[in-house]
Amino acid sequence: MAFDSTYTRELPLVDSRSSFAEIDDTVLAPTERKPSKKWFVAFLMANTALLIGAICVGYTLYYGIGMWGNNNPVGWGFDIINFVFWIGIGHAGTLISAILFLFRQKWRTAIARFAEAMTIFAVMTAGIFPILHTGRPWLAGYLLPYPNQNALWVNFTSPLLWDVFAVSTYLTISFVFWGIGLIPDIALMRARAVSGIKKSIYAILSLGWKGSNRDWQNYERVYLILAGLSTPLVLSVHTIVSFDFAVSVIPGWHTTIFPPYFVAGAIFSGFGMVSTCLIILRKVYDMENIITLNHIEKMNKILLATGTMVGYAYGMEFFIAWYSGNPFESFVFINRAFGPYAWAYWIMIACNVGFPQLFWFKKIRRNIGITFVLVLLVNVGMWFERFVIIVTSLHRDFLPASWGMYIPTMYDLGILLGSFGLFFTLLLLFVKVMPSVSLAEIKAVVPGAQPTHHHHSEEH
Amino acid sequence: MDKKIFDISDKIKKDDEIQLVPQGDIEPKGEVNYWRSFKELYRDPEFIKAKKSEFTKEQLEKPDVSKMGGLSRRKFLALFSASAALAAAGCNDYRDKGEIIPYNKKPEEVTVGRPNFYASACAGCSAGCGTLIRTREGRPVKVDGNPEHPVNQGKICAIGQASIMSLYDPERLKEPTVKGSKAKWADVDDKILADLKNAKQIAVVANAITSPTFKKVMDEFVAAYPNTKIYSYEVFDNSTRKSAWQKCYGTRNMPVVKLEEAKIILALESDFLDTDEGHIENLRKFAYNRDVMSDREFNRLYAVEGAMTVTGMNADYRMRLKSDLIEEFVHCLISELLGKKKISNYATDGRLTPIFGRSILDDFAKKNNLDKKIVENLVNDLSKAQGESIVIAGDKMPESTHIAVNFLNEILGNTKLYSTEAQGFEVMALSSKDDMNALVNDMRSKKIDVVIHLDVNPAFNLAKNYKYDEALKNVNTRVAFSESANETTALCDYVLPVHTSFEGWGDYKTRTGVMTLQQPVVNPLYNTRQKEAVMLVWVSGKKESYRDTLYHEYLMDNWEKNVYTSIKPSIDFKRYWFAALQDGFVSYAEKPAANPAFITETFVNNARTNSTNDFVLLLQKHHSLGDGKHANNGWLQELPNPISKIVWDNYAAISIASAKELGVKDNDKIKITNGGLSLEVPVFIQAGLADKVISIELGGGRKTGGTIGTGNGFDTYSLMSAAGTSAFLYNNVKVEKGSGTYELVSTQEHHAVDDPVTKDIQYKRDIIREGTYEEYRKKPKFLQKDDEIHGIRLDSFPSINESTKEHPYYTGVKWAMVLDMNKCTGCNYCTIACNVENNIPVVGKDQVKVNREMHWIRIDRYYAGTPDAPRANFQPMLCQHCDNAPCENVCPVAATTHSTDGINGMAYNRCVGTRYCANNCPYKVRRFNYFNWRDRVGDGFYQTDPMNYMYNPEVTVRSRGVMEKCTFCLQRIMDAKGVASYEGRRVKGSDVKTACQEACPANAISFGDMNDKKSEFYQQRMHPLGYGVLEDIKVKPNVTYISKLRNILEPLGIEGMGEEKPGKDEKKEEKKH
Repeated sequence: MAFDSTYTRELPLVDSRSSFAEIDDTVLAPTERKPSKKWFVAFLMANTALLIGAICVGYTLYYGIGMWGNNNPVGWGFDIINFVFWIGIGHAGTLISAILFLFRQKWRTAIARFAEAMTIFAVMTAGIFPILHTGRPWLAGYLLPYPNQNALWVNFTSPLLWDVFAVSTYLTISFVFWGIGLIPDIALMRARAVSGIKKSIYAILSLGWKGSNRDWQNYERVYLILAGLSTPLVLSVHTIVSFDFAVSVIPGWHTTIFPPYFVAGAIFSGFGMVSTCLIILRKVYDMENIITLNHIEKMNKILLATGTMVGYAYGMEFFIAWYSGNPFESFVFINRAFGPYAWAYWIMIACNVGFPQLFWFKKIRRNIGITFVLVLLVNVGMWFERFVIIVTSLHRDFLPASWGMYIPTMYDLGILLGSFGLFFTLLLLFVKVMPSVSLAEIKAVVPGAQPTHHHHSEEH
Repeated sequence: MDKKIFDISDKIKKDDEIQLVPQGDIEPKGEVNYWRSFKELYRDPEFIKAKKSEFTKEQLEKPDVSKMGGLSRRKFLALFSASAALAAAGCNDYRDKGEIIPYNKKPEEVTVGRPNFYASACAGCSAGCGTLIRTREGRPVKVDGNPEHPVNQGKICAIGQASIMSLYDPERLKEPTVKGSKAKWADVDDKILADLKNAKQIAVVANAITSPTFKKVMDEFVAAYPNTKIYSYEVFDNSTRKSAWQKCYGTRNMPVVKLEEAKIILALESDFLDTDEGHIENLRKFAYNRDVMSDREFNRLYAVEGAMTVTGMNADYRMRLKSDLIEEFVHCLISELLGKKKISNYATDGRLTPIFGRSILDDFAKKNNLDKKIVENLVNDLSKAQGESIVIAGDKMPESTHIAVNFLNEILGNTKLYSTEAQGFEVMALSSKDDMNALVNDMRSKKIDVVIHLDVNPAFNLAKNYKYDEALKNVNTRVAFSESANETTALCDYVLPVHTSFEGWGDYKTRTGVMTLQQPVVNPLYNTRQKEAVMLVWVSGKKESYRDTLYHEYLMDNWEKNVYTSIKPSIDFKRYWFAALQDGFVSYAEKPAANPAFITETFVNNARTNSTNDFVLLLQKHHSLGDGKHANNGWLQELPNPISKIVWDNYAAISIASAKELGVKDNDKIKITNGGLSLEVPVFIQAGLADKVISIELGGGRKTGGTIGTGNGFDTYSLMSAAGTSAFLYNNVKVEKGSGTYELVSTQEHHAVDDPVTKDIQYKRDIIREGTYEEYRKKPKFLQKDDEIHGIRLDSFPSINESTKEHPYYTGVKWAMVLDMNKCTGCNYCTIACNVENNIPVVGKDQVKVNREMHWIRIDRYYAGTPDAPRANFQPMLCQHCDNAPCENVCPVAATTHSTDGINGMAYNRCVGTRYCANNCPYKVRRFNYFNWRDRVGDGFYQTDPMNYMYNPEVTVRSRGVMEKCTFCLQRIMDAKGVASYEGRRVKGSDVKTACQEACPANAISFGDMNDKKSEFYQQRMHPLGYGVLEDIKVKPNVTYISKLRNILEPLGIEGMGEEKPGKDEKKEEKKH
């Protein structure tokens, strides 16, 4: 079959030739209207989950980590699983906004803002866990290298310390990046705001944006620099998180494949979560023509690619376990696949490697319903990936005499629920007060907004 | 609590007497005159004098308060301090925490911060082991064996070590009660004296009386109240062995067996290494011939048993055999040795010939699936090692078995190993079954008016078909002396609290030529009295005759009149007495009883105990709780059973085939019916158990056992019947599936030995190395793996045994440990010693279930072989203090770091509790405080007064959220360093003994300086059998394990272990020689 023109034609990034005003109205509607019933229901649910989590956290702080299922062979359980899970989710945003920006992937504009917000909220949620997981969280400040009269210093050989720096840097840069990106849009909201309070708040947040040429020039420059700064972070944060495991001596953790494997997994899970949220968002706020089916399809392609990378890593772990001849390592992987936690392992394989293979089919990539189910499964699968890595490696390590089982308690489940509650509460508040799509950028990619070659030739 | 314990106010009262005497005013010549005033410059004599004496004359005179202002200095200070105290008291409950009074004048024997040691005796059971009690500022904090005591030689069992917790048990009885309400001792004395005077018959129920002085008290009591009968009983009384001995030799004093001279030991349903009588001594003597550092030949232990015991697990050859067939097995052996091999003169004894025909070993072995090879070896060994072997039948076995075994030893000439010392003295004969029946009947028929329980608990631990509790209700005056509330005190009107062994006096006579003394090491914590003293008051009939020193004086008096005069030492009594107290015992030349000849008739006429096809029920002594008295001691409850690793409960162990037959799995309940008695007990399927055998520990299921002790396990005394030939073995028991399940928890998962993934995993992972003694004799280095591991050549790596080589960073003392797996029997006493030394908390059954036990040293158990004939290995596992400690580099706050003497330390204050170190520990020896355990267990039981005083002040009590682990008893190392530096020398490896090392009855643990090449410790560490667990992770552990050698004739055939590796190794050896 010969290539026809449709094959090379770029798909439009925004469906329908909406006017800028229409776009403004669509995107800013949620921030300017009273929230709908649906929003309140969602907010109530998220808050309930958050409250349950808060209660469980309260019990934990009062009585101790013993409220959880963690035990002697399995020192880390849901606490670190959740941490890695949420940090992973926090990877899509920066990837979309920074790396895709540097690669001039214009399709990112519709989803970048939301993904960035999600990143920040995910990292914030994740950040709770390293503090909460310590036995004495009130002393978590010891993890910071501050001068003190006891001349005590932190241990720079510990990956947990690297985590502290990696995560806090990532959160800071992401936050600044997101905040800078918001300035033109907030300025627009300032202009549109009716109430005085709103106006003054937006006025402060827009940092005196005038929309002048100079403003735009500076803005673009800062944005580019920040994108450049963020790009290595996307790779470094999860690399360092993976060091928590890779640096140890525990079979199943002590592997060199972890950094790339974790980064791929993080992007995979991040895109899974972005898709999950966006599919709901575009439907609820009628943004189907801005966040189009093309976007969903592109994300699905990334999911397929990263899912397959993760699958490769799973396979490679097994291969190395066998190829190295290390009996401890071979045992860990046999135990993963056929031991008492085999169910978790097969959930992980099915959700992360199996089901995403359906995305080879264009029909499925462009089917919202199936996509939604699959991305939900990706979320589940990636959570279980961390469960498998942490729990199955620890529960049966070197000495069979110290083997044991890990069974989470209702407090573990409550805190997991609470983490979703916190994440979605923040997300819902975000869509209420901020534009979930970058107006300034989306306007630039609306069909007809850019001068095109064809257009010119028509004129001539 | 009573403030008395810490009240030293009498020692500070004479504050005023301190006088300041002015120094003489000798002016030094040639002194440089630094002057501050002209008077000083010109050396005004008055001034010089004043300068020397510091105080003026006026200052030195006692101030006349009346001449001063209205407010004297003292008054001011008094008011000032009173108001300050008032303010402080108003702000918090400081006063409730007890008075803290500094020593104004230091008592001669107390140096603050230094421990004092007192020799005493353990009252945990009737064995009367000598103890050495460490006290700090007047409170006992640790109990160890008295190293100089001739019997237990520095070792005591778990009960003795943990007894410190029973002293500080907040639920001890604190004052006398009458019908549940508090009473005064004087009133109690009045009432009881009246009852005693009017009583037609008085019964005194006591445990075995091993104290000669107490016997004298009892004699006086009987003299004062002639209608008194004394009933003394003991659950584990060894009665069948004693009565068999009497029948065989005409005496009840059994000789001590010279186990250390036995080359072949045959244990028949005997747990002489763990729960049978005298096991502390046995362990030492057994391990004596398992020492790879000496040239002594290894002994060989055969075990034939129905249950799985510690002894069986440590046997070189073990055969499982239904317990009621053991006697037949003995007869078969006798027939084989006498009838076939004709090894002794008895072979010609015509009376014995008919017996030989009945029992044929080959048939018996075939019928009962005994390993033919092992039986053959056994017969050969026994006939070869005549006079150098010993056959031991268990305490549980009936009299007829013991008679047969005595005869077997007789024909083997093993009587050579009977020493002239006798053991198991009965200072007062124990009551027989008939006596006890008479007691119960007399109580029931209201013949007895007064019954006095001397710290015994017959309502709980007497065979249930006596129905003691019902009978007791018919007695008018029911008196119970006790340390804490129990099932018997609950039925008594007068409950009289007694001193613990830490607070009272006593003496013990358990061995020929040895008397052990028990002295108080702390003032009584509560309003308790010594039971002997109370009895003496009742003897005198005058309640005023009581004084705190009553029994002390009585004991001294008795010693002066009886012991001292019979020993006739060359020093006066006072000196003799104090020397004896300091030593904790006296040994003297007592005329040993001659070992009489065997009465052959006894064996000929011995009525055999026949076997049945029914289930056999074996009631075992509880490994850690003994008879159940110590149930409220959490440390003991949480001490794992050495075999099953189950904690907090007792259970019915059955074999795999029996479980199949009954259709039960682990935790399912089975209903056991023994005659009219029945009980439902959860099942634990135990490898190595004989089919149709149920083995259950006694001592669980206390109903009035205190917060910690109540409701754990099952009251298996309810299966004990007075009708059996032995109180512990019943072979006509009906068993069926019971209703429901009961969860048992253990500290170690057990893995199917036949699962291909986990089969022999301990060998594959180089955790356990073992071989045979013979291989070792041929080539001592046969287990060394220098050049390969897991089949991979590691030439490119430094030597695998690198951890035993010098380390460039540690030039001074470097601490290390050696654990000899040939000696370790898995008894767990190290664990309990560590608990006491290091303030290790109790976590409770629910927390052990989720793997949160806190033991710093644990005994890992591994099985190899088949489920029916498992080969067990024990391995003590503790922090290995790795040179490349993987825990250290992952701690973000550097809370765990290495010291210059090679110790992996923990800074608890710095720890934030990330648990990363525990995750990264390959040995999983780190323990995390998931809760504030002391607050959590038993609703704050372990932080109730006076439990706080139990803790070792040298070791931090860890809060929740903190990681902890073995520190190699760092506090002891620091102490030794202090002493060494005071003495102006460097600390030596032999200066420090860790708590586990001190406690190990088999001396399997050595500790010392691995850099001291002259030391024996260094030699042991470099022993060719030494290896480090998981050496190939390169963490460089500092604990060396000595490979286990089995003294068997056939090679073990473990893949990759002990095989001939031609060429390389031999060459190396040649080079060295």
